[in-house]
Amino acid sequence: MNRKIGVYICECGPNIAEKIDIDKVIEAVTSLNDIVTVERYKLLCSEAGKNYLTEQIKKHSLTHLVVAACSPRDHQLTFMEVCENAKINPYLFQLANIREQCAWVTDNKEEATKKAIRLTKAAIARVRCHSPLEKKEIESNPDILIIGGGIAGIEASLQLAHSNRKIYLVEKNSFLGGLIKNFEKKYPEMQPCSASILQKIETIKKISNIKIFTDSEVQEILGFFGNFEVKVKNKKEKDIESFNVGAVVFATGSSLFDINKNPQYGYGKFDNVLTSLEFEQMNLSKKIVLKNNKTPKSVAIIYCVGRTDKGYCSEICCMYSIKFVRYLKDNIPDIKIVNFYSDLCIPGKSHQKFYEQTQGENIDFIRAENIDITKKGEQLNISYDDETNRKKNCIVDMVILSPALEPSVDAAKLAEFTGVPLGDGDFFAEEHEKLNPVSTSTQGVFIAGCAQGPKSISDTIIQAEAVTGKILSSLIPGKKIEPEVKVSQISESFCIGCKTCLDICSYGAITFDEMNKISVVNEVICRGCGNCVAACPSGAITLKHFTFNQIYEELKEAVQ
Amino acid sequence: MTEQFEPRIVGFLCNWCSYAGADLAGTSKLKIPSSLTPIRVMCSSRIDPVLILTALLQGADGVLIAGCHPGDCHYNEGNYYARRRFAVLKKVVDSLGLESDRLCLSWVSASEGQRFAEVVNEFNEKIKKMGQNPMKKKML
Repeated sequence: MNRKIGVYICECGPNIAEKIDIDKVIEAVTSLNDIVTVERYKLLCSEAGKNYLTEQIKKHSLTHLVVAACSPRDHQLTFMEVCENAKINPYLFQLANIREQCAWVTDNKEEATKKAIRLTKAAIARVRCHSPLEKKEIESNPDILIIGGGIAGIEASLQLAHSNRKIYLVEKNSFLGGLIKNFEKKYPEMQPCSASILQKIETIKKISNIKIFTDSEVQEILGFFGNFEVKVKNKKEKDIESFNVGAVVFATGSSLFDINKNPQYGYGKFDNVLTSLEFEQMNLSKKIVLKNNKTPKSVAIIYCVGRTDKGYCSEICCMYSIKFVRYLKDNIPDIKIVNFYSDLCIPGKSHQKFYEQTQGENIDFIRAENIDITKKGEQLNISYDDETNRKKNCIVDMVILSPALEPSVDAAKLAEFTGVPLGDGDFFAEEHEKLNPVSTSTQGVFIAGCAQGPKSISDTIIQAEAVTGKILSSLIPGKKIEPEVKVSQISESFCIGCKTCLDICSYGAITFDEMNKISVVNEVICRGCGNCVAACPSGAITLKHFTFNQIYEELKEAVQ
Repeated sequence: MTEQFEPRIVGFLCNWCSYAGADLAGTSKLKIPSSLTPIRVMCSSRIDPVLILTALLQGADGVLIAGCHPGDCHYNEGNYYARRRFAVLKKVVDSLGLESDRLCLSWVSASEGQRFAEVVNEFNEKIKKMGQNPMKKKML
């Protein structure tokens, strides 16, 4: 191939020009093979600079372009666009970073110049081995699968259905609404909760483009962003339905920590020891009574149950426990309530006020440790250590335990067959805590609500809305999806069929062709990390744009 | 001719964390020895042992591989593979009678410009003390 490489060195105003002797760099690379022209320019990323480059590419009929300027994290895409506009393949371009990693970190101009020469020569050596890569486009399916019919799933379904998307909503139980269906009111505004979710469920059932599967579980999700194949099994009728979607939302929610692991609370052993969920249900049925049908005169609420076992704060237990104080006072005004907490977690703009307004006669908040519950006649005796480490006792009619939240049992199973990783506390791991809080490492799979971690109803709705936004802006009807171009490729003749690459790929992008006994990369799923390349014992795998030769050529110049 | 020894160090930096950390060292105007020539790769797991040995055979006095901190890999677990391969390679290099101290694996996040500068400075000092890669002399 007859290469015509043009090399352009950016002065970047004074940033590069003052720190590096650009003329010396020009001198050092001008006589290299295939170099047609080497020029300097004051600011290549400017409009004038981009026009200049475009003209130069045409004028010299360049086949390859090397720019020595800033970090590829800054302007790689800018110059790749220039290439495209000037009709050369954007992958026949290499950017040498002589600003961030040379001019700006080296005091001595002579040393900086020598390093800039090495970097520029390395870029030239590398670009000689570049191959043109072509962008691919694939059709996408705009429909969405939502797993979990709690508030997160319902909210996301409603929002997406408003934008005329077809939704498949899969719920394992025979009813929608999840945990919060049991809650009479939500904190801190004490507005109806159960009633409002029932209303939403009625709305959702009337929307024709939401298909609801109850008593069902997802059995298989295969494919990639824009093209997932899904199998849903009805647990009662045992039949399986298959359909295709473009994106998936995990809204599998949470369940309560198993209190049987903490026998000191006497749960299951003594009457009148309830979990928070059981108390919500009792309150909803408007019958707050003891086992013997009498009205309790005193209640203890125990916070932070299972917190040490789980190793994290479940965020909402303090607030809903304080809400229980309101429930109790509303129903039994002269009841005595003792709150045993270890740390009160009441953040946010309105929670402190809610707590302060829940103080009053016969309401105690006690910071306690080493709680142990035993039976005392018809009543329950709570022994505890107070803040001064003194053993104390408190006798009540009823105990409500506020246990930690943990991921729903389906999460682990779903994680296993979809490859979406679990993170802290075995909740689904977000792609990035701050930058991508509702995406996962699998493109096209999103998480909302307690599937991602314990959270309040309002935070759950925020996430459901965030997921909606993410899906509506990335999965657009009629718009094709552009998968990664720099992907792995397996040579049919070198592959020995050892399957090493299948095990190590984090994305399940490699499958085994049983007919030919070789591994095959699904280029749409591959993210281009190159791990399989390093793992392949027979050297059969190449990562496009990061081939051995390309890195080797760069390396040779780097050590000069 | 008693020229001071200027090492040649190749730095394989992962695109998402360490290369970004190196860029940050630049924007923070920290000082980094010019002996280091960075080579950008997408993930530290791309760096197979053959590339590291090739760098030594080509005369690099030191080879640095830097990736995301454990648990932070952009590709889930690439850095764990890099770490495992590196541990094996060090043993192989030692058993061949070569100096495995010329190889360094480190974790630098995108926000750790300062740490990047420290890692490179420290490694550079170590290599300076070790002197030239004997394989380079033999080739000359």
